[in-house]
Amino acid sequence: MDKPDQRLFEADLASAEFRAGAQKGYWGLSGTDMQAEQPEWPLRILWVAAVPRVNAPVRFYLQLDFSDYRTVPPTGTFWDPATKSPLDHNKRPKGKKDSRLAKVFRTDWEGGRAFYHPYDRVAAKGHPNWATEQPSLIWDCSHTIVDYLEEMHSLLNSGDYLGL
Amino acid sequence: MTGEAIELFIHSQDEKPRVAVAGPHEVLRDVLVRAEVITEGQEDLLVFVGEWEEALNEPDEIEDGEDGQAPVDLSLTIEALELHRHRHVHVHKCRRVSVQVHFNGRTKCRRFSPATTIAVVTIWARKKFKLDAAAGAEYVLRICDSEKQPRPSEHLGELVEPPKCAICFNLVKEIIPQG
Repeated sequence: MDKPDQRLFEADLASAEFRAGAQKGYWGLSGTDMQAEQPEWPLRILWVAAVPRVNAPVRFYLQLDFSDYRTVPPTGTFWDPATKSPLDHNKRPKGKKDSRLAKVFRTDWEGGRAFYHPYDRVAAKGHPNWATEQPSLIWDCSHTIVDYLEEMHSLLNSGDYLGL
Repeated sequence: MTGEAIELFIHSQDEKPRVAVAGPHEVLRDVLVRAEVITEGQEDLLVFVGEWEEALNEPDEIEDGEDGQAPVDLSLTIEALELHRHRHVHVHKCRRVSVQVHFNGRTKCRRFSPATTIAVVTIWARKKFKLDAAAGAEYVLRICDSEKQPRPSEHLGELVEPPKCAICFNLVKEIIPQG
């Protein structure tokens, strides 16, 4: 039987907000075209579309840990479905120097195992100051996977995204 | 359009959107009644379809502009309304949402369709305040007197509570995580 956090996550995948983004091709749950099946809960692999850049993919995969979903934020990083491991740093999206995108996707912090963003569990725990500096981005139980994916999609479709 | 049922995304004022499945020959009113968005015979609501982007084409010199989107006839079918293309249905009491955006001591106003996304309002505001595309990308809308920054995919109609068909935003620069 599914766990409560898993049931909540799956309900959010069926929500209009998630489905509308998926219908536009903004994001989705990684399908059987990329791996035989999803990893065991609380891990899930999703993808986010990126604006086309020379020699860069048009979608990036993320493996996220959704333990205690909604009560605590997810955590994770870019994923390589071909090697079934975190994406090599040289294949990750790069941004303009000192841009927000460059900070969020930095690989010189925690070995690139988490995103440097208030929605990431590891980053939020290590930066209690963000709660006052960025109150609008503090994860609480009203947030869903759609908030997370919209942030990623906005970054990967911004003018600050340069490619690989 | 094939005869297959499609997913529609139904947006109502001040509540989360919901998914409805409808066949091409169904009448929109019947779909909305079945989804319990309206009641049989209800006539006090306006229904818009699609996501309205007229503001993106507004010339810079226009001040206090207004969208021209008209509500649809609920007796039409899903196919006739081309909902396989539009997908989004907005049920609202407001014909327009009056938007004020404040930035650097200046204010820009426009009356938008409730079917306008925050993404469209944000691009419109950056353009009106002449923030160039590259530098402006980090500016987002925050609801006045709050810390709430609506997601780009949220619609104006979901953010207002009639009879007040108005909303105020500040255009703010997103903070770069530090520390």
